[in-house]
Amino acid sequence: MLRMSWSTFRDRWPVFLGAIVSVCLGVALVQSSLLTLVSAATAKVPPGLSAVEERAIRDGYVGAISLLGMTLGLAFFVAIFVVSSTFAFTVAQRRRDLALLRLTGAGRRQVRTLLVGEALLLGVIGSALGMLVGLPVMRVQTAMLTSFEFAPSGFTAQWRDWIIAVSAGTGIGVAVLGVLAASRRAARVRPLEALRDLGAAARVMTASRWVFGLFFLAGSVALLILVSAVGGEAALPLSINATFTLVTAFALLAPLVVPLVAAPFGLVFRGKLGLLAQANLRTGVRRSASTAAPIMVLVAFVVGMAGTTGTLTEASRQEITRELRGDLVLTTDGPVGDRVAAAPGVTAVSEEAPVSFDVGTDAGEDGMEWESVDGLAISPASYAETHRAAVTSGNLADLSGATVAVTPSAGRWRVGDLMPVHLAGGPEQLRVVALLPETLSGPAVLLSPDLMPDGPRQYVVRATDAAAATPGLAALGQVMTTAAWVDEYNDRQQRTNTNVMVALMGMAMLYTLIAMVNAVVIAASDRRAEFAAARVTGLTRGQVVGTALAESVAVVAIGVLLGVLAAVGTIIGMASAVRDMVGLNVTSLPWSMFGAVVAIALVVVAVSSVLTTLSATRTPPIRLVAARE
Amino acid sequence: MDTQTRQLPAEPPVTTAPAVELQAVTRVYGARTAEVRALDDVDIAFRAGSWTAVMGPSGSGKSTLLHCAAGLERVSAGRVRIAGQDITDASDAELTRLRRTVVGFVFQSFNLIGSLSAEQNVAMPLRLAGRRPKRREVREVLASVGLADRAGHRPAELSGGQQQRVAIARAMVTRPAVLFADEPTGALDTRTARTVLSMLRAMVDTSGQTIVMVTHDPAAAAAADRVVFLGDGRLVDSLERPTTREVADRLARWEE
Repeated sequence: MLRMSWSTFRDRWPVFLGAIVSVCLGVALVQSSLLTLVSAATAKVPPGLSAVEERAIRDGYVGAISLLGMTLGLAFFVAIFVVSSTFAFTVAQRRRDLALLRLTGAGRRQVRTLLVGEALLLGVIGSALGMLVGLPVMRVQTAMLTSFEFAPSGFTAQWRDWIIAVSAGTGIGVAVLGVLAASRRAARVRPLEALRDLGAAARVMTASRWVFGLFFLAGSVALLILVSAVGGEAALPLSINATFTLVTAFALLAPLVVPLVAAPFGLVFRGKLGLLAQANLRTGVRRSASTAAPIMVLVAFVVGMAGTTGTLTEASRQEITRELRGDLVLTTDGPVGDRVAAAPGVTAVSEEAPVSFDVGTDAGEDGMEWESVDGLAISPASYAETHRAAVTSGNLADLSGATVAVTPSAGRWRVGDLMPVHLAGGPEQLRVVALLPETLSGPAVLLSPDLMPDGPRQYVVRATDAAAATPGLAALGQVMTTAAWVDEYNDRQQRTNTNVMVALMGMAMLYTLIAMVNAVVIAASDRRAEFAAARVTGLTRGQVVGTALAESVAVVAIGVLLGVLAAVGTIIGMASAVRDMVGLNVTSLPWSMFGAVVAIALVVVAVSSVLTTLSATRTPPIRLVAARE
Repeated sequence: MDTQTRQLPAEPPVTTAPAVELQAVTRVYGARTAEVRALDDVDIAFRAGSWTAVMGPSGSGKSTLLHCAAGLERVSAGRVRIAGQDITDASDAELTRLRRTVVGFVFQSFNLIGSLSAEQNVAMPLRLAGRRPKRREVREVLASVGLADRAGHRPAELSGGQQQRVAIARAMVTRPAVLFADEPTGALDTRTARTVLSMLRAMVDTSGQTIVMVTHDPAAAAAADRVVFLGDGRLVDSLERPTTREVADRLARWEE
């Protein structure tokens, strides 16, 4: 049987090459993400640093680990998704070959053995290549992390020998798993299908597609409800999970959408070519759905992620604007409170210094668990004058000595609790005096003015005349109007969002682009005879290419439609989480990102479709029509 | 891998029991509203060691008859027996075994596996049956269809007639009790078709092969021992020892 696998392999190489590429890149991506994650998790802080520097590096690694954890999850998901859809597609493409085998006496089990044998072969080749390709991918990923400052500079990811086993296991496992489901279906191919022309008998929306599609759809709805219920920082990873399940659901249900898109498409592209393209879309539902799948993944993740982070950022901006009651914000390198208060035109000033410390929670037998928290040391009276300063219980005015006020994101504390802390040069316990409402923009904790360290700080200033007060303050540090300060915060946040997106998804999304090319090539490999028939019927080569191009535009439309549906689901989940947390009604739709992604997908699919059609129509048609085998 | 090997029928059955028998077979396609009766209460038996041609206009049900008789399609009503075995309700595994040992197929489009050489194509049914085919055995079958020197060629490197002969060799390698042929000469030119037909004739005459063949070509039908005519899913006529002219005349009458 393996020899049989080998000879089909030799014969159908474009299809299998596509499958190998998908396994190879999937393995490279997973391997690189895993090695980078493990390297970050085991990175040692170099000795001889000050406590502050050491803490900054430690926090940097913690941030990198959580980012890389998400990257790894995404890499796994996209790899499994792309590989399994590629393999399922290759199996569907060979329905007739398989029926022929059944006709010559192959049992169902033998068909499965053949397909799984092929998957093994492809998995082994793909994994071996993937391990090599993974090395440069890892370098790129590390470079991205350090240049975006998600990991301390000097961070490098190292090779581990055990990764060979993991990568081989991933590649082969994913390939075989991807083919298992498809092979069960393929084994049910009836021998008679060898005698009929392809497609008619192959029902695309199978019972299992329905069941799993609806199952994942229901799961996604549940997750989205959970996202809005959980809120806060946990909502972002959860909403990415919701994108996973939504994408899976839509990929399974995609064949239902193909005719829906094909119909209006036929109206737009009138004329004989449009008609032909529309007919091809309908008959090639499986092909259309397979090509649309990676497009959907790309759109769903990029638009979904950009939309959720954009929504969070916009909500933060609105929240800060709502909270701040100041006119000017002054940033300085050290304490200058008296001189700020003495400046002309200043009526109120709140001195605020950032404090990073660890909060301990009792983890039972494991002793204390310490978590890093960013807080702000303030004076309650002047803070209340320049901020909305709402509390849910307790009193902010009690904030003096060893005390804190906390938001729910700092943990489950009640007024009067004693909070164990590691605070440089400070007490070992802080008493909770007030509970603050949930916030997106921070700070998570307010500390008493007695805990205010030396070093950089900001002053929120109210002035009778902001313009008149500015020159006096400008001598002390950098001064901005509140509006300008909020804008700058917003810009910085958006830059970070973009960087996070690139670091998190850049590689995976490149992978989906290659998967698109792959799907187009695999789809075209089976259509030489069809193209030839069209040309014998009287279409010029240009018209055949034009039809294929029109089809590819429609396929992109299908992918984009489904991707946007998945993304919108995620964004709505995030928006409702934001509403529950801070009571703001915000949705930010990333139009420019959406436009860019659609344009890229369109160009990639259209160009590869035109090129493959050109190459598939190079042979004079009559030769292909005559020779069916 | 299914390793169960059935005993091959060593010799063609000597009894007068038919090789294939259809009893009151009806085959209905489509749902209630668009119901098509492809076969309507057909009774027919194909004698062992005989060659029968099935004819009829397009849509008369001749291909359906072949598919039902060969166990490729389930019947809606009635019973089908091949080589004494009732296959009406046979499981997929049983039908697979049947295809490996009891029946062989030849089609208009030769349906060879493009990636395999002629020799590998011919050996495929034996491999699928879990046997390790002997090289000599396969070569002999190829030689019997006059392709001893083409064993290593792939289908794309063979002419249409040669491809069909490879397909016949593949069908015959398991020494099936019945060979089912669907328009075996449909894609061949007249001269090549004649070669293929005389090869089938020789198989019937010398080794007592049973052949059931669907065709629309009177010349092909005239090579058979008997022609049966189908119209609207029913048997309407038959001819023993037909000539091309007789067949063409009957056909013209039934197609009016």
